[in-house]
Amino acid sequence: MELLRTPQQREQIFKRGCAPVLRSSLEQDLAKLIVQTLKLKIDPATINPEAALFGDGLGLDSIDALELSLAVSQVYGYQLKSSDPEIRTIFSSLRALARAIEKNRMK
Amino acid sequence: MHDTPLIGPYYPDDVLAWEQGGPRTAREFLADVWCLAEQLPDRPSVLNFVSSRYAFLVGFAAAILRQQVTLLPQSRAPQTIRRLVGDYPGSYGLTDRGDTIEGVESISIESRESGNSQSFEVPHVPVNQVVAVAFTSGSTGLPMPNAKTWGALTAVAYATGASLGIKDRVSTTVVATVPQQHMFGLEASVMLPVMHGLVMHAGRPFFPADIGSALAEAKGTWILVTTPLHLRACVTDGVKVPPGGLVLSATAPLAWSLAQETERHFQAEVHEIFGFAEAGSVAERRTIDGEQWRPLSGVRVVQDQASCHVHAWYLPNPMRIPDHITTTTQGTFFVHGREADQVNVAGHRVSLGDLNHALLQVDGVQDGVFVVPEEGPGLVTRLMAFVVAPGKRSEEIQSALRTCIAPVFLPRPLICVSCLPRNATGKLPREAVNELARQWLEKEGHGA
Repeated sequence: MELLRTPQQREQIFKRGCAPVLRSSLEQDLAKLIVQTLKLKIDPATINPEAALFGDGLGLDSIDALELSLAVSQVYGYQLKSSDPEIRTIFSSLRALARAIEKNRMK
Repeated sequence: MHDTPLIGPYYPDDVLAWEQGGPRTAREFLADVWCLAEQLPDRPSVLNFVSSRYAFLVGFAAAILRQQVTLLPQSRAPQTIRRLVGDYPGSYGLTDRGDTIEGVESISIESRESGNSQSFEVPHVPVNQVVAVAFTSGSTGLPMPNAKTWGALTAVAYATGASLGIKDRVSTTVVATVPQQHMFGLEASVMLPVMHGLVMHAGRPFFPADIGSALAEAKGTWILVTTPLHLRACVTDGVKVPPGGLVLSATAPLAWSLAQETERHFQAEVHEIFGFAEAGSVAERRTIDGEQWRPLSGVRVVQDQASCHVHAWYLPNPMRIPDHITTTTQGTFFVHGREADQVNVAGHRVSLGDLNHALLQVDGVQDGVFVVPEEGPGLVTRLMAFVVAPGKRSEEIQSALRTCIAPVFLPRPLICVSCLPRNATGKLPREAVNELARQWLEKEGHGA
């Protein structure tokens, strides 16, 4: 889905090591959920919460977006919609997604 | 050769499309088409990457009236586009919503003034006019062009409608999750509604909740043009839809159990379309009724000694089906899987030879091979790749691949190895590669 890959997101570089750390327990849980759902071969703790999830960051694509939306819906009861004007922001990074879940979660 | 009308049996004020902003009538559509047709540059071919299905159709129709061919590449990877523009010099792009195509001069068609919409004159198009070229992946690493005539596109639309019992002008909205730039999307979500006087939903709902809202908003009954991937997502997420529609699935085989769950959950019939870019849609079946495919009207599937071909009046020659097929005496057929070199990931078909070719073009890669792992849990099974590239990191190779193959085919994971299990003649036996993948996955499984 092209809307998930803006040039700004592409410019963001996924930096391990010197990256900002996962802060809340929700961010930590979400990092684990992403790695588990998408079967990524990385340690959840090394995900930079401010790096792009799609494009060059974690390298996710539209199928991942769909899988991730299902996992988020099942675990947090929050149904993502691409008609949401904030959708680009929501999917821009792990931190942004965690913020949106915090605001909209039913579980 | 004769001409046929650009649109189906609409009255001037019938709604042809439903956009976010509201309805577009057949009269307004024709005015939009004439207006854009006058403004298009004098070029032979166009890349229509417009994301609104309605604006895409306006662009497609305007190009047809100007006798320009719409190119439908397999992906938007920069290298693919660069090569395409090299093969079709003078191509320009059509985009909307601020989108741009790297390296292609493009026209944005979002804010065009509509022309005078008083008159209602439906233009006619010669049936033998080539209106589109769809590209497929070949084992040589070069995309293969498949020319589509106006006659072929309209014939497939009528044949699909006849097979599914779709009636002209009966209030029905066609909603699609598939892109209109791919053959199935163009045929089922654009040509099918427009040739039958139905309403075309201009959006492309993506998440289950989007699909639910689009179907709830549909005027009249609905037809959902989609893929097994989206159906699985909708059923898993328990999305609510108004009962009584029709689901058309294609691009990958739909499991019988998922078809049954979808029928129960949506209270709708679920049909599958079998087709491939070279021939377009070929056959259909209601998945829960059994595995047999019924050719669309006017289509014959003929078994020769080694392969099967599709015959139809609108095809320039019989088209070889890239799957293993057996036919029955009733003219129906069974599909037993695709030919060895072809793989399907999330509904996108590609030749492994093509992917391997791309991999070997990457700077620093000495040897490499793509592997299809055994199916695992999750919506989609991704490809893997083993690469010999001393001094290179797998991230670097991934970035290079990103510029030349569609994201869905990017290997996950890409594993750097010191050598590949080539035999004495330099060949890479499939069993040896599969064994390598099995060993690697086992090792990873223990490590996780």
